[in-house]
Amino acid sequence: MFSDLSAAIECTERIAVIGASGQGKSTMLRMLARLEPIDEGDMLLNGQSFRNAEPQLWRKQVCYVAQQSVMLEGSIEDNLRVVSRLHNLPYEQSLAHQLLNESGLGDLNPRQPAADLSGGQQQRVALIRALMLRPAVLLLDEATASLDPESTRLVEAMLIALSARQEMAIVWVTHDLAQASRIGNRVWTISAGGLSEERQDVR
Amino acid sequence: MTWLALGCTLLFIFITMFVSIWQKLGLEKDIAIGSARAALQLLAIGYVLHYIFRTDNILYLALIVLIMIVVASWNASQRGKDMKGIFWRIALSITVMELFIMLFLIGLKIIEPTPQYIIPLSGMTVGNAMLVASLFTSHVRREAAASKGQIDTLLSLGASAGQALQGVRKRAVKFSMIPTIDSLKTVGLVQLPGMMTGMIIAGAEPVEAVRYQILILFAHAGSAAMTSMLLSAFYFRLLLTKDLTTRSFDNT
Repeated sequence: MFSDLSAAIECTERIAVIGASGQGKSTMLRMLARLEPIDEGDMLLNGQSFRNAEPQLWRKQVCYVAQQSVMLEGSIEDNLRVVSRLHNLPYEQSLAHQLLNESGLGDLNPRQPAADLSGGQQQRVALIRALMLRPAVLLLDEATASLDPESTRLVEAMLIALSARQEMAIVWVTHDLAQASRIGNRVWTISAGGLSEERQDVR
Repeated sequence: MTWLALGCTLLFIFITMFVSIWQKLGLEKDIAIGSARAALQLLAIGYVLHYIFRTDNILYLALIVLIMIVVASWNASQRGKDMKGIFWRIALSITVMELFIMLFLIGLKIIEPTPQYIIPLSGMTVGNAMLVASLFTSHVRREAAASKGQIDTLLSLGASAGQALQGVRKRAVKFSMIPTIDSLKTVGLVQLPGMMTGMIIAGAEPVEAVRYQILILFAHAGSAAMTSMLLSAFYFRLLLTKDLTTRSFDNT
């Protein structure tokens, strides 16, 4: 898919990725999370090569959120608890509560079956589920595609604040150029198997 | 039963072939080949058993059981031809299960360690394990395809292979055991099992025949559970790649 693609990300940077459909934006995100095979080259996280890291531990730090949200069995809370169950960590109830509020889902009953939620609600639950991991790098594939403008702004604000607070880098694929300039302090353009960048003023 | 009497039962086959020709089902050739094979295979095993029961040589006994396991594994592995190493995984599961069941039955002196007991019981247990392995293989593929989104989601949250596949494994194990468990519930009410019927026709006391049949049914339940659990452990690596990503099979 790609040949000769190279880039570095600092820990609080937010990178908007744009490019026409079919150029491999999603594939690149999935490669960063090691969900697609990487034949050659290397990826380093804090100086450590992905080839020396277990896929589970890598994905715990570099977390991918798909465009099509998939709800796991059970309630909203079950979906958020999955992360602590997978990694044997205590469940951070207050963090879950805070993120639900900030993304406009504060009114929902957490015991409600996740399958009954609307597309936009599911997309936010899937995002919060990933945030419960407290990843170092968050990979978002059209994370607000099913949201109305108001919820989109809420999610953008939540993620920008979280990125600064938790020192979390974000790589955000979007086809919305206005969104790219709102959320990114860098913008990558993917085309013809390569990556180009125009640096924006850091906000 | 005389050979002439047995020959007369060919009438049933002729009826079947007549229906096939009359209704243009195009099954005549398969019926003829199938009937000939069934008769020849059964007659051959009859003579082989006749010989083995008299020689008392453990090597022949082991050879027969081995052939059963190989044929059963090969047959079940046809459900997943594109899954690498599937034959060996099924063969290993069935072998472990067969050894466990036989050592258990012989060790507790439930059956005598003679070909007369071991071969028919092995045939039934391995045959049932073959059915379980076929069901498990086809169902695990369907489940893995249907739950691809869920598996992918769990993997992207950093799940291990075991955590990501837990749901698929559970459902495939359950599905493959359904026929065995159903037959436990309805046996005697709906169907009279072949072994018991055979013993009764051959002159055995019905209650004695029933006792053996219960033994078989319980052994089947145990073998089904063991086979599907072993398979679910051995199939892990076939469903995910080395890097813990989902693998796809064409589901036909």
